[in-house]
Amino acid sequence: MDFLNSYIVLAEIYVLLALSTNLLVGIVGIFSVSQAAVFGVGAYIVAALLMGDILPFLPAILVAALCCVALNILVTLPSLRVAGDYFVVTSFGIQLLATAVFTNWTEGTGGANGLPGIPPPAILGFEFDSTGQFLLLSSAALAAGCLCFWLIMRAPFGRLLRAIREDEMAVAAAGKNVLRAKVGAAALAGALAGLAGGVYGTFLSFIDPSSFDLDASILMLTMVVVGGARTLTGSILGPFLLLALPQLLTLVEIPSTIAAAMRQLIYGLLLIAFMLFRPQGLAGERL
Amino acid sequence: MIWLQLLAQGLVTGCALGVVAISFSLIYATTRIFHVAHAGVYTMGGYVAWSLIQHGVPDPLALILAIAACTAVGALIQHQLYHRLERRRATQLVILIASLGVLAVIQNIIAAVYTPNILQFASAWGGRTLSLGGVLVSYAQLLIVLVSLATYGGLLFFAHRTLLGKRIRAVASNPFLAEITRLQPQDVYVIVIAIASAVVCLPGVLVPFELGLQPYGGVTVLLTATIAMIAGGVGSITGAFVLAVAIAVLQNLSLLVMPGEWSIGVTFFIFVIFMLFRPRGLFAAG
Repeated sequence: MDFLNSYIVLAEIYVLLALSTNLLVGIVGIFSVSQAAVFGVGAYIVAALLMGDILPFLPAILVAALCCVALNILVTLPSLRVAGDYFVVTSFGIQLLATAVFTNWTEGTGGANGLPGIPPPAILGFEFDSTGQFLLLSSAALAAGCLCFWLIMRAPFGRLLRAIREDEMAVAAAGKNVLRAKVGAAALAGALAGLAGGVYGTFLSFIDPSSFDLDASILMLTMVVVGGARTLTGSILGPFLLLALPQLLTLVEIPSTIAAAMRQLIYGLLLIAFMLFRPQGLAGERL
Repeated sequence: MIWLQLLAQGLVTGCALGVVAISFSLIYATTRIFHVAHAGVYTMGGYVAWSLIQHGVPDPLALILAIAACTAVGALIQHQLYHRLERRRATQLVILIASLGVLAVIQNIIAAVYTPNILQFASAWGGRTLSLGGVLVSYAQLLIVLVSLATYGGLLFFAHRTLLGKRIRAVASNPFLAEITRLQPQDVYVIVIAIASAVVCLPGVLVPFELGLQPYGGVTVLLTATIAMIAGGVGSITGAFVLAVAIAVLQNLSLLVMPGEWSIGVTFFIFVIFMLFRPRGLFAAG
């Protein structure tokens, strides 16, 4: 039961990340492989604030989300101003830079050994320390994320973002500020990833750089691609399916040393296959 | 004299990086595809050569066979993947995601077969050093510089003086016009990626002679090369090469003031500066 619960909690956290990736890659059509970096920043900030007893859980999450928003704005603003392909470079660069910081800034992040002993979250004196209780918290975060995504897609801002994906020039000609809309979407994506990071760190009570590297970003992209881009259903479906994959792989006899490589290999094959044969994913719209 | 040694190291790394940058620039300027999988082809070349040498193949022959393998894989990616996607009018984003998928596949096949640990070449000659004016240079490093400069000169000649080179530049500057004048852009794209994959295999094999092989190392190399390409001006062979050398030298000299783990930060800082002040690059045409 605990096993099933922790699978659901993790999947719910990854739904938030998939929503964040979907917003950038699916809705606005900006390629991004730095979601895991932002996710990591959120996780480390919440961990630092809770372990140092500086802030309680909810304000800590808020601070982390705001930092991630600021980070995403800072990162996207210079490159989006120039051209789409420059953002590819920026996004790879941020991801590699973040991994370098997580791994080498030993005082702040514990380096490659990670940060153990992150206290469980507490809201108004109620501690979420069992997996079952945590399920409530992650489900609440998931509901908030999904509601936010759904509302924005219905709002004029959502229509503006979709329009940018279809024809940027036409949107600019209609007098809309394309750059501001894109940076706005990036800010929102940052908030979602930061929230996910905070929940993730407190759930596992341990974080290390391997959860926030380029491979993790590729996993998030695969979730969006498999589930289906541009829809809420797709972003919920993708994480639940792909997080079940490692469990299925344990049924096949492969040495544990190459298990991680096999997983990433499958994600790569999924990316290629879906792009070739089903770019709309299982429950999405055409990329 | 530590700075002189670092300068020499920077020049060597820069020459190898320059070849990667030129090859990527060739693909990007012609096909407009952000060929991320190029990092995988780069890594693959080294591993192919390593396995062949392990099986007793002489070094030069192993290099040639590795180049052939990279050429084939590059052409296959264009012909079987990018071309199919383009026929279905896939967006740039879709092609980019597919390319990222190919990168993940190549890297992780390598990691699964050869383990993610660093492998060293067993050949003895690469490690031998000689002293040039107080700076220690290994034979492998010397070879990297010579081969890189020759490749740079060769590609410059190829692009401007040969018929195929002119055809490639014609397709790059106007694919539509090239299509109606029967220059067959789709064939040119396959040729371009094949040539670029062959070229990138040179540093892909020679650099590991000095530094060893690692399945996931290609991404950082390609990222730095891409930054050099953008800073040099997309489409400019000289720009890409010169800027790659400059970035590698700066990276190495930065070791005087900060530890090596942060050199990716230096590279990225250079990129941000260029984006803010000169996004078209230094050697951009027009």
